[in-house]
Amino acid sequence: MGAPIMTVQGVSKAFGGIQAVEACTFEVTPRLITGLIGPNGAGKTTVFNLITGFLRADGGSIRFKGEELLGMAPHEVEARGVVRTFQHLRLWGKMTVLENVLLGCRTPLGESVVSLFLRPARVREEEATARRRALEVLEFFGLAGRAHELAEDLAYPEQKLLSMARIFATDAEVLLLDEPTSGLDTDSLQRIVPMVRRLVEHGKTVLLIEHNMELIAQLSDEVVFLHQGRVMARGRAEQITRDPALTEIYFGV
Amino acid sequence: MLAYIAHYLVMVGIYTILATSLNLLVGYSGIFSLAHAAIYGIGAYASALAALQLGLGFWGGLLVAAVVGALAAALVAIPSLRVAGDYYIVASFGLQVVILTVFINWTSLTNGHAGLPGIPRPRVFGLVVDDPFKYVVLSLALAALTYLICRRLTASAFGRALRAVREDEIAAAATGKNVVAVKITITTISSALGALAGSLYAHYITYINPTSFSLDESIFITSLVILGGTERLAGPLVGSLILLAVPEALKFLAIPDTVAAPMRQILYGALLIVFMFVRPEGILGRARPRRAA
Amino acid sequence: MDLALQLLATGLVVGSLYALCAIGWGLIYGTTLHFHVAHGAVFALAAYYAYVAQTWLRLPLAVAVLVAIVASAVSGLLIDLLLYQQLERRGAFRTSIFIASLGLLILLENVLAIVFTPDPMRMDIGALNTAVIIGPVFLTYLHILTVALALVGYGALMLFLKRSRWGQAIRAVSSAPEMARTVGIDLRRVHLLTYAVGSALAAPAGILVAMDVGAEPFRGTRFVLLASVGVIMGGIGSIPGAMLGGLFLGLLENLGIWKLPSEWQSAISFGVFLVFIVLRPRGFFGRTIHSAEI
Repeated sequence: MGAPIMTVQGVSKAFGGIQAVEACTFEVTPRLITGLIGPNGAGKTTVFNLITGFLRADGGSIRFKGEELLGMAPHEVEARGVVRTFQHLRLWGKMTVLENVLLGCRTPLGESVVSLFLRPARVREEEATARRRALEVLEFFGLAGRAHELAEDLAYPEQKLLSMARIFATDAEVLLLDEPTSGLDTDSLQRIVPMVRRLVEHGKTVLLIEHNMELIAQLSDEVVFLHQGRVMARGRAEQITRDPALTEIYFGV
Repeated sequence: MLAYIAHYLVMVGIYTILATSLNLLVGYSGIFSLAHAAIYGIGAYASALAALQLGLGFWGGLLVAAVVGALAAALVAIPSLRVAGDYYIVASFGLQVVILTVFINWTSLTNGHAGLPGIPRPRVFGLVVDDPFKYVVLSLALAALTYLICRRLTASAFGRALRAVREDEIAAAATGKNVVAVKITITTISSALGALAGSLYAHYITYINPTSFSLDESIFITSLVILGGTERLAGPLVGSLILLAVPEALKFLAIPDTVAAPMRQILYGALLIVFMFVRPEGILGRARPRRAA
Repeated sequence: MDLALQLLATGLVVGSLYALCAIGWGLIYGTTLHFHVAHGAVFALAAYYAYVAQTWLRLPLAVAVLVAIVASAVSGLLIDLLLYQQLERRGAFRTSIFIASLGLLILLENVLAIVFTPDPMRMDIGALNTAVIIGPVFLTYLHILTVALALVGYGALMLFLKRSRWGQAIRAVSSAPEMARTVGIDLRRVHLLTYAVGSALAAPAGILVAMDVGAEPFRGTRFVLLASVGVIMGGIGSIPGAMLGGLFLGLLENLGIWKLPSEWQSAISFGVFLVFIVLRPRGFFGRTIHSAEI
């Protein structure tokens, strides 16, 4: 399997009186899909928030390729190569599909006011390169035909794909997908599920939050089972999803 | 009559710069500032003092104005923009009040209420800009320059990032944008441009005093932005053209001065309210579908 | 030393006024998230309601004050009902609500300026003007009443929020609006109540100032600014914090002039505010609304 690309060690987070995540420890193996599952309120999205710097952990450590991520701001975590999608997508509805993906591409010169005025030629070049890349990404996700439509006008399954396309464009190595299949019917699922596999084939590492046990069994190589903020079990997908005690926790509560 | 129209056009140019620069904040970034009149005033005083005390020419004055304006805004923006935008409203409100206090009370520097007279006319490329028509050219040229600068900003990757931050800054942060840096940058640029307008004003009227830079003035500039529309860059121009004609219209109706001033304010206040109902994007804005509550 | 004590006393009086404005504004902001600058207009209106009740309607002072407080509560409620809720129904952004509030503040202040002129309208406060001298400190009964009313107002509000059903509804909406809605709380009604209560708290402040130095149309702007500073310093969502924040600002302003020229009062308050939000954006007791908070 190789050394883990990311290790979460003893991470905890409390809100008011509620301990959302406690002594959370697991590893993410590179170039695999790791599923993060557990009943509602288990703390899964909180873990995503902690990894990507949207929340400050109370304690513990999150190491990515040897570097400590805790304490970094979200954009710094992204720069290191870890990105996430949102359960509620958070697309920029009033902007076009292409713009949504362009925002994921690297355009440091175009975003620097100094460069904007002093190096117009380089900026133009960079923008052209970014556009090409953005269109490639859209092709990859099957959205090229929609490039100039507003993101809010897309059908829901396509919006889900767009949210993945956006983070794919960032070239980040580790993609955290928050419920990429929620709210989709069986037909639409067939568009999303293969895409997640293709991401790994492309060299990415995926950590995904998912509710559907079957999908988890189908998609994940490894699984981390969270319950009331603690890691209940880790291991190969087949083991975890067939474990009756865990299934009871999952459906019982 | 012609000189009168020239004066109107000079002021339109100045207010277009003010409104365009404020629009960068309110329209493009969703950051509301009540301190734009104070920034305008900083530009005016900085430039006037640079000319009167240091003998700096017009371009030097412009530069000083832009730098001082930018610094003042950054000073306030850096602590307040790290937290939510509402903090910036309060901070900008406070900045407006404090700066006006400085203008009024730091009499050794600003002469307080008596103001600064005798500000020299600008020398541009060897020509002294001493009549209204030459000033129209200067004013409109600077307004055009401001427009071009803003165009470049908003049409770039930076502008894209700005719009993303405005629509959903959490998504922007997750996608690698340094939200705070973007906000501070745009606030600084907006203020540098607003201060420029102040410099232009000071050298035109050749006399400045604190009353021109009060909260009322901030409200007026805000009304210009709202009226003209926040979506298009030409909006501030339209807003200025319309609202600057209003005081003249009021004069035609022979309303006494004591009532005219509050009446104008009532008009601006009503305008803000009405536009929020009818057309929050302003006159020129694209009518966009309302976001569900 | 004598001067310091006098300034301390004055600071407490002024702080009480700010505190009343702050707890009302803070209640409204914490519950509705509206940046209700028009609170300053309610402050100003309250003064004129009292003035009119006393001078035109010839009501005795106490009755005039009560009438004014009720009228202010109704005014605040109407602002929400007729302006903010209407805008929200049309899907307005929060910035739009703020802009409309600002427009209303300007409009109302200037209407008052036309109707009553910008000059202060003095009220007849009879015995309240009597001086009270405690050592080197000079106060009037009015000043003491001001501090007392602030404490009473605070106490009443806290009791209302903790013990009464409606108070609890307000707290529920304040901390978790979606949750409150799912348990069947009518958000619109709670908002209206919040505006009524918040405005009823600002009213005494406006009236007391009018009783001291006369009613003026434009004073409210400054008070609402300081109220919001007080709320932020005290911590958004915390009424005790707002109370402390207001008192703190009053003391700061007045003690500030012990050593610095009085024209710099506002600069001092504002400067402290900026330093404060750098060091402790959460305020004394509150939760920060961080830019990127999910």
